[in-house]
Amino acid sequence: MLFPTIDFAIFFILVFLGHWVLNHDARAWKLFMLAASYVFYAWWSWRYVFLLLGVSLIAQVSALAVSRQQDQARRMRVMAVGVAATLAPLLYFKYYGFFTVNVANASSSLGLGLSLPLIQVVLPVGVSFYTFMAISYVVDVYRRDFEISSWTDVFLYLSFFPHLVAGPIVRPSELIPQLDVRRDPRHVDVAGAAWLIMGGLFKKVVIANYLGTAIVDPLFGDPSRHSAPEAIVGLVAYAVQIYADFSGYTDIAIGLAKLLGFQFPQNFDRPYSARSVQEFWRRWHMTLSRWLRDYLYIPLGGNRKGKARTYVNLMLTMVLGGLWHGAAWHFVVWGGLHGAYLAVGQWKRERRAMGALAEPPETSTVLWGQRFMTFALVCIAWAFFRADSVATAMSLLGRALTGWGMASPLVTPAVVLAIAVGLATQFAPRRIGAAIKDRVAGLQPVTLGLTGAAILFVITSLGPRGVAPFIYFQF
Amino acid sequence: MTTDDRDTRRPSRADPEGPTDPTTERRLSMPAGGVLVAMLVCLLVWGVLYAPELKRSSEAQPDGLRRTVSLAILSPVVWVSDHVGLTAATDAAEQALGRDPDAAVGGTFDVPIEIDDIPTISPAPGDGNGNHGGGGHDGEKPPVKDTDIRVPTADDKLRVAVVGDSLAAGVGYYAERVFKAFFVDVVKQGQISTGLARPDYFNWPARMRYIVDSYRPDLTLVMIGENDNQSLQTPQGGLDTAIGTFEWAKAYEARVERFAKIATSHGGHVIWVGLPVQRDHARWEFIQRQNAIFEAVADRLPNVAYFDSWNAFANGDGDYTAYYRDGNQVELIRADDGIHFNGTGYAVLAEKVAELAASEFGLDPRTFGP
Repeated sequence: MLFPTIDFAIFFILVFLGHWVLNHDARAWKLFMLAASYVFYAWWSWRYVFLLLGVSLIAQVSALAVSRQQDQARRMRVMAVGVAATLAPLLYFKYYGFFTVNVANASSSLGLGLSLPLIQVVLPVGVSFYTFMAISYVVDVYRRDFEISSWTDVFLYLSFFPHLVAGPIVRPSELIPQLDVRRDPRHVDVAGAAWLIMGGLFKKVVIANYLGTAIVDPLFGDPSRHSAPEAIVGLVAYAVQIYADFSGYTDIAIGLAKLLGFQFPQNFDRPYSARSVQEFWRRWHMTLSRWLRDYLYIPLGGNRKGKARTYVNLMLTMVLGGLWHGAAWHFVVWGGLHGAYLAVGQWKRERRAMGALAEPPETSTVLWGQRFMTFALVCIAWAFFRADSVATAMSLLGRALTGWGMASPLVTPAVVLAIAVGLATQFAPRRIGAAIKDRVAGLQPVTLGLTGAAILFVITSLGPRGVAPFIYFQF
Repeated sequence: MTTDDRDTRRPSRADPEGPTDPTTERRLSMPAGGVLVAMLVCLLVWGVLYAPELKRSSEAQPDGLRRTVSLAILSPVVWVSDHVGLTAATDAAEQALGRDPDAAVGGTFDVPIEIDDIPTISPAPGDGNGNHGGGGHDGEKPPVKDTDIRVPTADDKLRVAVVGDSLAAGVGYYAERVFKAFFVDVVKQGQISTGLARPDYFNWPARMRYIVDSYRPDLTLVMIGENDNQSLQTPQGGLDTAIGTFEWAKAYEARVERFAKIATSHGGHVIWVGLPVQRDHARWEFIQRQNAIFEAVADRLPNVAYFDSWNAFANGDGDYTAYYRDGNQVELIRADDGIHFNGTGYAVLAEKVAELAASEFGLDPRTFGP
């Protein structure tokens, strides 16, 4: 069930009703919300429900096993087994095909004749997200950061529909305690929720879908046919598209959770206003980057094991982060590039700390220069993220350098306007949002509904027909 | 990612622009009952405003309970909307926002020629334009020998159009990689959720006529039929031939033939790409019947060739496989849905189609390649 569909709108109204009717009865509420979340997931395929159940079961059994160990070494071994077991379904669904094809081709090239069964494994939607949340739970119990929770709480934590298919990746400590809080039905944060949901729909349906069909898809179909201005504008368009698409989804998810009285962690904070790639990762897909930091980078040693090891850990973390997005070499290159950017940034910071490199002056020219450079580096990496192969990405970057003197029919005023609007959201004063929410809060329910309908009509009329799935659903 | 090891595992605020203190939060809040009313009003009013578009989307769905229920709810709403002038107002609003209210669901894919207007095709004697299954395949005329596709130059490029449903949309993108930009222009005209069964929803013969008249493609790649497992409608929305009847195949064949004739009417050539083998065996029989029709029409019309994608991408046992072996390399070529191809698959398909055009119509081998 996709968020911007009538199916989901009807589903949500029913859930909203049940949520508030059962609000006073914690046990009934949890069972109702658990059932609703599983219905939401089963809408894609009822078979996936068993996977979600299985991952939840493995996580809870693992966490229970970890919590019963007093000996630290033993506790760690049990946790490692639990994490491996939780991760196993994801590894199979996401990487089996990639692994078998590469083994078959490498073996064929070497004349070994080794081959594994070539099965088309369909990636269940959301599995990457809820697997990471399940690992968070097992590891947090191991670290004693979080206590063992009830079976119902853990199953609901992992399946709660607003975050289920594409995050944000919520920690147990952020969601499970909220499951026991009875909400005040007199105070629903409708202004904040409406702002997030309508804003998210606008970003997804209008900006992301338009840029995708108008320039990004044609450009990445065959970059060699396109001019340098098309390659450059198209790459920037993709940067805006993926931001509008993913942050739009997240905004809707956070807004829906708000209507149910839940607070989700922030996932985006104006990422293209970052002055360095390190800052970009503090603002982009924040719940994934902190997950990678806390459950991968720090366990690998972080920056505590010397300079060389810090660089290796950074690179390893980002390459694995790339592979998390998809089992393909172009994602490895994307992760590797970000690892390299972060390593260079780390090296510069060390040099500055030693006094070997001067701190840049805090002028607006430097500020915008840093923002521009960061954005350019991120866009170059996006070429590998969006392309279907490393060769296609290289072809696109090549066109950006060599394709001058050709016509650029894809670069239209509407495309430039959509990019400008998308980028403007990164720099617009925050008080605008606050002022709009103030206005919304003053409306009566019927007026609010009529206003929402008018905005929705404009959004759906501006967007391309049909429902394009969110980009991050494929991960 | 940060290289700083500080533990920042505390929750971050959900909304950077949101209220931070309980007083503000309460000021911006509303009782749950009020929120429910607002949501219902929003959905209902939007539903009325958007009803014509929703009805159009429902009409694009295959026959079934969902389509029937949707249309049963939406038809009276649209009737009222039409009669009180709301449809005209919302159409005008949509046009003001830059959208054609009558365009197909899914929009167009990179249209380098102006196709804002779908011209009405008036029935021409003998070519089956009347949508009544008349067709022109009765063997009155002996087949004419195929001609060769002209040899292009850099100044006078070959024009290739890719038309059809979502499969054609995919082929279109990857055909650009296969056909050399120096010699070939590719026009991508794949329209998702379309077919030959529902000219009331998307009139492919009319669109093809427009493409031929305005673009004069030297070669047209047709891949269509995936959505045609339903009753045949007239352009006005009336029932032409019901699915499951003996007449359906004949009427469908007439539509296929008419379409191919339009595509070749200005001396162009057509490669009709049959539907590929699919994972779901339940659809095999119907698809194979469609493919037999495509092949039969291609066999009897000049300058039309059939590409058997079913067998080209089936495994050794004739069953579905998602993989393709090219020499000693294996590649995943099918999408997760078991119907469409992924990018690699579309590129392989486009290349095979180009090879067929070379062998059947003498397509210059310089015009394509991996």
